[in-house]
Amino acid sequence: QALLIQHPEHETNVSSPLKSAPLLVPPRALKLGQEGFKKVCRTEEDSPCPFPGLAAGVLEMRVKEGSKIRNLMGFAMARMQGEKAVSGGDVSSGGLRQVVFTGSGRAVTKTITCAEIMKRKVGSLHQLTKLQYKVVKEVWESSEEGTSEMTVRRTVPSISILLSKDPLDPQEPGYQPPETLSALWEEKDGVESASQTACKRPLGPLSYSSFTHCKRVCLGEGVSVLPPQ
Amino acid sequence: MVENTVEMDPVEYTLRKRLPWKLPKRRNDVYVNMKTDFRAQLARCQKLLEGGGHREICVHGLGLAINRAINIALQLQASSQGALQLAANTSTVELVDDLEPEDPDEAGEPMTRTRNNSAIHIKVFYPDTP
Repeated sequence: QALLIQHPEHETNVSSPLKSAPLLVPPRALKLGQEGFKKVCRTEEDSPCPFPGLAAGVLEMRVKEGSKIRNLMGFAMARMQGEKAVSGGDVSSGGLRQVVFTGSGRAVTKTITCAEIMKRKVGSLHQLTKLQYKVVKEVWESSEEGTSEMTVRRTVPSISILLSKDPLDPQEPGYQPPETLSALWEEKDGVESASQTACKRPLGPLSYSSFTHCKRVCLGEGVSVLPPQ
Repeated sequence: MVENTVEMDPVEYTLRKRLPWKLPKRRNDVYVNMKTDFRAQLARCQKLLEGGGHREICVHGLGLAINRAINIALQLQASSQGALQLAANTSTVELVDDLEPEDPDEAGEPMTRTRNNSAIHIKVFYPDTP
């Protein structure tokens, strides 16, 4: 279990309802776990649905850090294919038309993997991907006194992927037509290479040197202010 | 997924991961990794959009770096006060591992193994409508 709750790239607001201890630690370097705090509960605040106008009964797969892909996929595939109609009420033999995969924090990669596996197995699925920050509220309790409690509000990146057998609006940002497994790369490559190669070479060394300079400056700063990730 | 079903013996082989495929590298492509400092990569994107005069950049992340790529894109959007929009696409990238026999005299033949990893490509752009 990770004791370090603060990554340098996450924003944290700490509010202490009981001013028991002088908690003047800067929130960015806070390590509650090491100071004898225990996480009591973790609740995700409701965020607006990233897909407005979506039918209410859509299957939503909430992918968590510890979810097993075979469990998630076993369930979702059965519902989408509809062969093994587990629930008696499901009359449609073809299975569901749409499914949403959502996940936040460290479950994001797993969420994408699930969607990618489903696209490959089911085929010709339209995809809509949305990103947003999700607010997670954590309550930490001091193990020593039992009286001091802290509420931490964290924002974690989250992803929602809608996969649909029916066509979706291609104008919507984040839309992906079916069967773009590797075409995404080749297409871009082909279109851009002709126009870009001409100006790429002469400008190359210049931009490269300026980047290394910038990198060195930022690294030095990072070491002094923040603990290594 | 795994073509070669032969189990690898960690004593006899060293696993060497090849670099992921050929990368399209335009001036507005940013490949996010986990080695460079987060803020340096964020600053680089900000520079491209503000100083570099690009109307759109493309932030790519593979595997573990997906999270960081999303974070960068969302940070860019938040600091633009809603001026920037995001359009994310996902894909699967095939990666190749080389299995090299440790001891050339012993039986082992060099083998390769392919596996898949997820990737994300986020277009960060100013919408066309003024």
